[in-house]
Amino acid sequence: MMLANAQKRTRVTWVDFVVALVLVLFVAFLVYRVNDVLHYRWNWSVIPNFLYRWDEELGSWMPNLLALGFYATLRLAIWGILLASVIGMVMGLCRTSSILLLRMIGRSYVELIRNVPPLVFIFIFYFFISSQIPLFDDIGDWVRQASPESLASIEFLFGPPKLLGNFLSGLIVLALFEGAYITEIVRAGLQSVERGQWEAADSLGLSRFDVMRYVIVPQAFSRVLPPLAGQFISLIKDSSIVSLISIQELTFAATEVANSTQRVFEVWITVSVMYFAICFGCSLLFERWEKRTSKSR
Amino acid sequence: MKFLHRRTMIALAAAAFSVAAVSTGSVSHAQAADAESVVQTIKKRGVIKVGMSSFVPWAMRDKKGELIGFEIDVAKKVAEDMGVEVEFVPTAWDGIIPALLSGKFDVIIGGMSITPQRNLSVNFTRPYARSGVGFAANKKLADGMTTLDAYNASGVKLAVRRGITAATLAQKIFPKARLLQFDDDAQAFQEVVNGNAHAVLSSEPKPTFWTIENSDVLYQPFDKVLQRGAEAMALRKGDPDALNYFSNWVEVRTNDGWLAERHDYWFKTQNWKDEVGK
Repeated sequence: MMLANAQKRTRVTWVDFVVALVLVLFVAFLVYRVNDVLHYRWNWSVIPNFLYRWDEELGSWMPNLLALGFYATLRLAIWGILLASVIGMVMGLCRTSSILLLRMIGRSYVELIRNVPPLVFIFIFYFFISSQIPLFDDIGDWVRQASPESLASIEFLFGPPKLLGNFLSGLIVLALFEGAYITEIVRAGLQSVERGQWEAADSLGLSRFDVMRYVIVPQAFSRVLPPLAGQFISLIKDSSIVSLISIQELTFAATEVANSTQRVFEVWITVSVMYFAICFGCSLLFERWEKRTSKSR
Repeated sequence: MKFLHRRTMIALAAAAFSVAAVSTGSVSHAQAADAESVVQTIKKRGVIKVGMSSFVPWAMRDKKGELIGFEIDVAKKVAEDMGVEVEFVPTAWDGIIPALLSGKFDVIIGGMSITPQRNLSVNFTRPYARSGVGFAANKKLADGMTTLDAYNASGVKLAVRRGITAATLAQKIFPKARLLQFDDDAQAFQEVVNGNAHAVLSSEPKPTFWTIENSDVLYQPFDKVLQRGAEAMALRKGDPDALNYFSNWVEVRTNDGWLAERHDYWFKTQNWKDEVGK
């Protein structure tokens, strides 16, 4: 299997040359269009400063808008993945429960979110729901009085304390949204485990919790890993939508920098490289994990 | 068994509805009791939350990533005069009015022009700035053309950006001239600099800035803008105290010349350009 893969990868045919040539020509055409037709004056010099800047007062390098946005997106991604997984796991169990009420709750949640465009859901959440929950607005007032040590740990975990309410509402809306898709992945995984496994586990006299824990979930887990990885990467990319409700992450920071400097192309190219880095890193991580779980099986 | 479940469902649904009813009831009640003006809220909190959106030179990011601009100066001065700290809430422009209404911040100081439509959903203070559609012409091509009529002639080419107020205005004032439309302001200006069009129309201060930057090719034939706009702070409706406070703040700062001085700094000069590092 490995050998066949390796051979396949090294064989280069004339088709590959044609495809490569077409791609090169296309890129050259784009460069030509941008340079000669658009009269766009490239100026990359402003970008590095908006990543990291030298602070003369402090005498050290400080992250600037784009780097801060990058970290915010990273935090949003990590917490979002954790929270969405918890929601997805709980709701997935509800979806496959034998209790009608739980099944209905799970189903309502999934259908409500899956059948509304993400942007609409985000707007409704932000403007109607989150403003009725005083937590998001009050948390800012609460943080103002926190001690320096707790401020430092808040900063490490959630970013600038001033933006905590802003960050949390972005995180929750993202997790609620992606959780619906993860619910379906979890449900599919649980249901894909053959009936015989359930029956065998039952016949051993295991409680329902133990059946889940020792028999069903481990098998389901390795099956859902690939679609789960895809969903997590979607989550990271979808996190850019919350910039529209002014969550101060990478896309929002990029809009501000592009507006201020008028260096539109340079900023968005930089940002796309940053998103690519996070998502590609994430998919490499999952690839390794997948290999490990398939080995251990 | 199934029947029982259904009954529980109905009971639960009823409970959910009554909770919803109570909570919405309490919300409207809270609003009624919340006759406290936003001015008092700000004083109590010790912080004024200002909603804004970046737009050169109203509000933008400097090299350090910090906010600077005309608007930022205005908001800081308001906070100083109230004796409170200022906190900026950068907000996407499309959602800035809903965000104000849902209480994400106290006031919009964001270069917002007064329009009758917007005024239906928010209250505007007295305007603290008056922008408008400006005009810049090519020195060689439009030599000596210093009246509006001079440009309203066949053979005159005017550059505008597609879809903005300036484009509609150009058609209205100069129906005989030929309109060259571009997707980007920069392209429209470039066309006049290159000598392919007589003049360009755009919202101020862009025409002024381009003229300063390209003073060897461009000049401004009119000392007035072609169409005026009025920018004001926006507040939630039903708060006369706040409206009175902010309007009078504008009045006072207009009279003592502070607003005009700051406005000229950001709109007439480009001394701040090094800070942005364009």
